[in-house]
Amino acid sequence: MASVSHTLRFARALVVTNLRASLALRAAFWLQAAFMAANNLAFFATWWLLFDRFEEIGGWRLRDMMTVFGVVAFGFGLAVVFGGGARRLARVIIDGELDSLLVHPKPVLLHAVGSASTASGWGDMTTGIGMLYLAGRLTPESLPFVALAVLSSGLVFTAVIVTFQSLAFWLGETEQLARQMWEFTLTFALYPRTLFSGGVSFLLYTLVPAGFVGFLPVELVRAPSGVLCLAVLSGAVLWCAIATLVFAAGLRRYESGSPFGTRG
Amino acid sequence: MTSRLSRAAGKYLAFAQAAARRTMADRTVAAGRVVFLGVILFVFSRIWRLIGAADALPGVTERELVWYLAITECCVLSIPPVFLAIESEVRSGDVACRLVRPVAYVGGQIAEAIGETALRLAVMAPAGALFAYLLGGGLPADSRGLWLTVPLGVTAVLMAILSMAAIGLSAFWVVDTSPFFWIWQKATFVLGGLLFPLELYPEWLQKIAHVTPFPLMCWAPGRMALGFAPDVALASALSGVIWLAILCGLIALLSSRARLRLTVNGG
Repeated sequence: MASVSHTLRFARALVVTNLRASLALRAAFWLQAAFMAANNLAFFATWWLLFDRFEEIGGWRLRDMMTVFGVVAFGFGLAVVFGGGARRLARVIIDGELDSLLVHPKPVLLHAVGSASTASGWGDMTTGIGMLYLAGRLTPESLPFVALAVLSSGLVFTAVIVTFQSLAFWLGETEQLARQMWEFTLTFALYPRTLFSGGVSFLLYTLVPAGFVGFLPVELVRAPSGVLCLAVLSGAVLWCAIATLVFAAGLRRYESGSPFGTRG
Repeated sequence: MTSRLSRAAGKYLAFAQAAARRTMADRTVAAGRVVFLGVILFVFSRIWRLIGAADALPGVTERELVWYLAITECCVLSIPPVFLAIESEVRSGDVACRLVRPVAYVGGQIAEAIGETALRLAVMAPAGALFAYLLGGGLPADSRGLWLTVPLGVTAVLMAILSMAAIGLSAFWVVDTSPFFWIWQKATFVLGGLLFPLELYPEWLQKIAHVTPFPLMCWAPGRMALGFAPDVALASALSGVIWLAILCGLIALLSSRARLRLTVNGG
C-alpha cells in the first residue's frame, strides 16, 4: 500500500515538474498550444465541409464526428502531456539512456514515460473539450462517461506507444516503425467505425488498436451503457498490462550505453 | 558564364543525388509511407461508397474520386520536412558551418529536398496508381487527363518544398517552427482540396481557395483525374509559375535577413 502511495506521489511530482518545465518557455508554450488547437480545427473543417454537403455518412452525422474528434483529441492530448516521454522511448533505449533511470529507486517505465511533456497536447485537449461541448456531450449526466472515455483513450494511446517503442529492445532502430504504427492507430481512430468491417475491424482491435483508442470510447459517449463501460475499462487495463509486460521483458535484454550524464 | 552556371548546377545536383541515395537506404520508412497511402485510399474509397459517388459531382464516380485522392496524397506525402532540417541546424548552430561552403545554404537544402522528393515520388506514384486502380476499380473514365498530372504535380511539389524552406527560415526568429508548419499544412489540406475536390466546397469557400496558392499544391494535379481539362491545366501551370517566382523572392528576402540576424547573434 505504501508502495502505491509512493508511486502516486512520484507520478504527481513528474507532472508538476513537467508543467513547470513547459511553462518556463511561456511564449513557446502558448504558441504551441494555440497553434495545435487551430491546426485541429482546420483539419476538422474538411469533415464539416463533407457533412455540410452530404449530411450523413453511413448513419453518422456531424455531431458524431465531433464526438470522435473530441474524444480522440482529448485522449491524445492527455497521452502527450502526461506521458510525453513515451514517444521517444525507442531513441532512449537505442542510445542506452535508460541507465540514468535504472539507478533511481522508482518505477523505470513510469519515470521514462513521465519524463517529458509536449506543450501542444494542451491544444489537443482544448480542441477535445470544445468539440465535445459543441456536440452536446458535456451534460452533467454524461460527464462521468465522457471522463472515463477520454481517460481510457489517453491510457491506451500511451500504452500503445510504449508497446511499439519497446520493440527497440529486440529490433534496434525501430523509431520510424514505432512512429508509423501509432500514427496508423491515430489515423484509424479518427474515422467512423462503421467504415470498417470483417478482417479490417479485427485488425483495428488487435495490431492497430484504434478500436480501444477511438471506437469503443466514442461509443460509450454516444450511447452510454454498463457493458460499454466494462469494455472500455477492460481495453485500458489490457493494453496497460501488455505495455508493462513488453517493456519489462525488453528491459531484461537491455544493455547499457555507458553514457556519461547526470539526472536530477 | 555558361560554365559557371553549369558548375553551380552541378553542385546542387550533387546535393540532390546525395539526398536521394540517403532516402533509398531508408526502406522501412518508404514502406510505411506506401502503407499509409493505401490506408487513406482504402478509408476514402469506403466513404465514397457509403455516400454514393453519383451524389458527389455530376459525371464523376467513386473511381475518379479515388484517383483524385491518390494524386493529391502522393504530392503531399512525397515532400520531406525540409523545415525541420533547417530548424535543427539553426538551433544547433551547425548552420554557421554550412554558411561558409561555396553553395547557398537554402539552395543546398532545397536541392536536397528535391532529390528526396524525386525518389519518394518514384515509389509513391506507381504505388498510388496501383492502389487507385484496385480500390477504384480501374482507370478514370477519361484517363487522358492523367498525363497532365505530371507537370502540375512537379509544380505542386516544388511549391510545397519552397514553402517549407520559407517556414524553416523562420527558425532564425522563433524557437519552434512547427506551429507555422501545422497551419500551412492544414491550409493545404483544406484550401488545397487534399481529401476531395474543391468543387464539393460551398461556392464562397471555392472563391477564397482559388485566390490562395494552396489549390495548386493539391487540387490542380488531382483535378486532372476528374476529366480531361487542358484549359484548367494551362491556367494552373501559369499560376504555379507566378507563385514559384513569388516564393523564390520570399526565400531570398528571408535568407538575407536571416544572415544579418545570425551575425548580430554572433553565430
